[in-house]
Amino acid sequence: MTRKHSPEETKAAMHEVVLEMYNRMMKGEAPTMTLPVRTKKNIGFDSKLGVYKYGKKRSIRDAKSLGSAKQLLRALHVIEFIEEMINAGKSSTLREMYYISEGWGHGHFSSQNESNNLAEDLEIVTKCLREDFKLRPEEDGSRMIGDITVNERNRRGEWMRINARDDVGDSGYGVPYNVEAEKIQLLEHDVDFIMAIETGGMFDRLVENGFDEEHRCALLHLKGQPARSTRRILKRMNEEWNLPVVVFLDGDPWSFRIYASIAYGAIKTAHISEYLATPSASYLGITADDIVAYDLPSDDLSSKDVEALKAELTDPRFNDSWWQEQINMMLDLGQKAEQQSLAKYGLDFVTDTYLPEKLAEMGH
Amino acid sequence: MHMGIAERMASAHKQIAISEFFEKNKHFLGFDTDTRALITAVKEAVDNALDACEEARILPTITIKISKHDAKRDIILLEVQDNGPGIPMKSLENVFGKLLYGSRFHVIRQSRGQQGIGITGVVMYGQLTTGKPSRIISKIATEETAVQVNIGIDTQKNKALKTKQERITWTDEDGELIEHGVRVITKMKAKYQRGRQSVYQYLRMTSIVNPHAEISFTDPEGERTIFTRVTEKLPRVVDAIKPHPSGMHLGQLQRMLKSSDERKLTSFLRHNFSGVSQRAAKELITAAELEEGSKPKLVKPDAAQALLEAMNGKRNGARGKPVKLLPPPTNCLSPIEEMLIKKGLSKTIDSRFIATLTRPPVVSQGNPYQVEVGLIFGGGMPADKPVEILRFANRVPLMYQQGGCLLTKAIESVDWRQYGLEQAGGKGVPKGPAAILIHLASTYVQFTSEAKEALADNEEVFGEVRKAALEMGRGLRRHLEKRKKMAKTKEKFELINDILPAIAEKSASLLGKPVPALGGAITKIMNAVICQETTLWNKETKQSDVTILLYNYTARPRSYTILVSWPESLAEMVANERGGRKEAFGLWAWKLETIEPGARAEVTYSLVGLEKGDWNETEIFYRGAGNVIGASVLDEKILAEIRKQEERGHEIIATEQHDSAIEIIENPIETLTDSTSPPESQLEPMPKPEKVPPPTMDPDPGADVDTEMSPIPGSSPATGADDLGQSVMNKTTDLFKQQKLFDGGGAQ
Repeated sequence: MTRKHSPEETKAAMHEVVLEMYNRMMKGEAPTMTLPVRTKKNIGFDSKLGVYKYGKKRSIRDAKSLGSAKQLLRALHVIEFIEEMINAGKSSTLREMYYISEGWGHGHFSSQNESNNLAEDLEIVTKCLREDFKLRPEEDGSRMIGDITVNERNRRGEWMRINARDDVGDSGYGVPYNVEAEKIQLLEHDVDFIMAIETGGMFDRLVENGFDEEHRCALLHLKGQPARSTRRILKRMNEEWNLPVVVFLDGDPWSFRIYASIAYGAIKTAHISEYLATPSASYLGITADDIVAYDLPSDDLSSKDVEALKAELTDPRFNDSWWQEQINMMLDLGQKAEQQSLAKYGLDFVTDTYLPEKLAEMGH
Repeated sequence: MHMGIAERMASAHKQIAISEFFEKNKHFLGFDTDTRALITAVKEAVDNALDACEEARILPTITIKISKHDAKRDIILLEVQDNGPGIPMKSLENVFGKLLYGSRFHVIRQSRGQQGIGITGVVMYGQLTTGKPSRIISKIATEETAVQVNIGIDTQKNKALKTKQERITWTDEDGELIEHGVRVITKMKAKYQRGRQSVYQYLRMTSIVNPHAEISFTDPEGERTIFTRVTEKLPRVVDAIKPHPSGMHLGQLQRMLKSSDERKLTSFLRHNFSGVSQRAAKELITAAELEEGSKPKLVKPDAAQALLEAMNGKRNGARGKPVKLLPPPTNCLSPIEEMLIKKGLSKTIDSRFIATLTRPPVVSQGNPYQVEVGLIFGGGMPADKPVEILRFANRVPLMYQQGGCLLTKAIESVDWRQYGLEQAGGKGVPKGPAAILIHLASTYVQFTSEAKEALADNEEVFGEVRKAALEMGRGLRRHLEKRKKMAKTKEKFELINDILPAIAEKSASLLGKPVPALGGAITKIMNAVICQETTLWNKETKQSDVTILLYNYTARPRSYTILVSWPESLAEMVANERGGRKEAFGLWAWKLETIEPGARAEVTYSLVGLEKGDWNETEIFYRGAGNVIGASVLDEKILAEIRKQEERGHEIIATEQHDSAIEIIENPIETLTDSTSPPESQLEPMPKPEKVPPPTMDPDPGADVDTEMSPIPGSSPATGADDLGQSVMNKTTDLFKQQKLFDGGGAQ
């Protein structure tokens, strides 16, 4: 189980990576870095944890090609940079690190994506978290509304008690990037479940219609593919308070992926799935069924949509009969629908009819 | 036999208005549309200028200006000026005012002018569409002043109408006296257009195959383009040759017989044809079952037919086989030559790679021809468009009917996909950032039609173009592979020179340990022998300096023979300290000493005799075990091919030497026109100026004249229009006769 590491543990873990390269060169070989294969072919269900984790496939990144040699050099620069931050008690965003890398000569990053991926690589091989590395994500956290009370340590180091219904405005409580215990304490709640919502428009609709109070739930805005902190706080609320999680998304292949990353873990972060995934989260809609059953306004699937659906058919996370049926049905329909297409039947249809019906169906 | 329109017309009408002839045939003559008329006019004027300069050995500078004279009625003013030898006053009216006058048709040799009606057509077209004469200014070096004259055409008599003739002092824009040259100013109904078929494109193409010319063009918007001169080398002087028996036609043969003063058939054959030795002459006569001693003048038509069959290989000689003849000489051809095509192409097209090839001259049906191909790749050319095909016949751009042209078909027959270009199904015009130039030089260019824009099918020419194209393709593929390899090599060097040492240092400093030695890692990473080549132009020495470095990054000692391609025909190799030896023409080889692991070897030399930009890349080959990045394994098959070509090259030279012993006759059938021809003085209105022969005014005593006659087309419904077209311009005869006809002489 991944856990927080002390600065010394973190540094020692990083030195292991450096040592692998160093020893290879001392032996007259090209330096290497060994890491798990990070594709859907190398994720498997961990029945003990109930999430998908990387399998045993390892890839060796060696310095025989210019591209991977540069990756190794970058890794060394990143390690040096993290050590400096740990020693100075500072932190930086991934984006800041990307800009700082401008000064790393041949080791500089040519895109932000590269620096993000490398930070993940290092997490995977050291089994540390990026919080250990003092690296913050750029992505902003999600918003939450509902009768939930937390303690958040502010930048002056003081604990602030915040109720996500009474102490916040219409935009809700902003979830910080670090939601670990040293930053956020979950104090108390008076809700029956948590509903995670893909789009801001739908989140605001539910808030305006007072859905949270009427149905005794907390609403969490995912902002598309949810940030780690969003998935992490969902997981904590689910685990610590034993609250059920339902996920309400658009009805398209990309939304299916969002659900899979919430429930089973994302392929990119499969090394920390057990820390981010909420296996008991259930998919509320929009399903392929809903498009037909509610006669929703829909759009044709693009060729990329079809490609994504077909890829999902072979994704181990979707390897159950319900998902296979949903995916095939969507392929047959050739259609996708947005959450907000429910507005076809009026602004209150979603809160008065659709959600109650779906929740009842799911046994809430 | 071909039936000329001229004969047909001649038999029915003694007199016909030349304007009517022009009107009826204007699609053959290139004046069928307003757009094309302008291109044709420019073409005639520019071809004349280039031919004149070439004969007079002057580097041409040609200025073309097109302006709108009367926009409402589409009247355009065309001004073309050259710095050629000029035309003497006496000849002006014939050159500009008499249709089909000129030097082009009496000798067999490669010339631009084969392909058009001549500048008179332009004067005629201008007059027919605007009612105005053309203004000509001409100055020859031996006279103080220039002649300025307006020339129109009496369309009934095919005679020039001169008006306002005067002597002027001719100066250029800066007030400098012009020493010699011609300026033609014509008003005509015409349209200026841009695009693939435009005056601009014609001039651009002309400039590519005439790198020795400077062409300046001002379009109707006043925009000026200068196609610069990139070489001072004039095309070589081409010799006229006598006809070869295998290309003979009956009429031609009969006329030659009739006009011959030879006493015996043997000497007639030996003296009037190329490729006929004493032995071959005797064999031909035997094959035709004639007497050696017969007087050529008295040979009967059926005997002439028999002789023709023997000449064409349709009758067997004494040995039961067609009489073996020597091929005609090929020194009557003027290829542009590889390096000049390169210069011409790179002048107008920005590119990364150019390959050019001049195939050795070949003979088909008695006519020598030679194919040249150039391929230019990369640079600013669009990658998703069909390749631009630039077609030329005797240095004249072919701009229409691309799809129907033999040259295009040969290019389309190549599967370009294997050479790095896109091509749907491996057929058709390939796509990619490339342009392909094809030049056919021949004494007799066969066109599909009288429009003279597409070459007719000919298996041998097709084969030659295809062979040349394949070779271009192989060159392109090698270039692309080399570029890929070079990029890979560059990466490897960056890896071992920059990245790896940085990894070593950084990892050591993070761990607080000593920096590891990298020799072993480098060998493991590279595991190859790497060849780096630089070919650089040295401004000071005017040499191309070549350096080749061979690094052994393997764990074992290596030894290689390194070979380079170099332009042996144009340059001399100097400062070659390693010596080495010649492997084949254009291929030099060095056997290198053994290179230890981690060590390197160096080869350097310089090339003298080239100009900047001539030689930017050196192709490197090797013999030896193991992969060498940056060089290609020497393909022994290709080497054998090169050697074979070399040998063939020698053969051709031998043939030429043999034939050059035969003296060249200027007018092989001079007397033929006898009673019906105009007086000599009329045909040759002025003596040639010494040393500076004006090209367009040689007499045309009527080579190749058919004797056959037929009714005019209108009276013979069985004659198709195609047939008519086939013969109108194709046969120089017809034109000649046409001229005579208009001169007032009757038909034979």
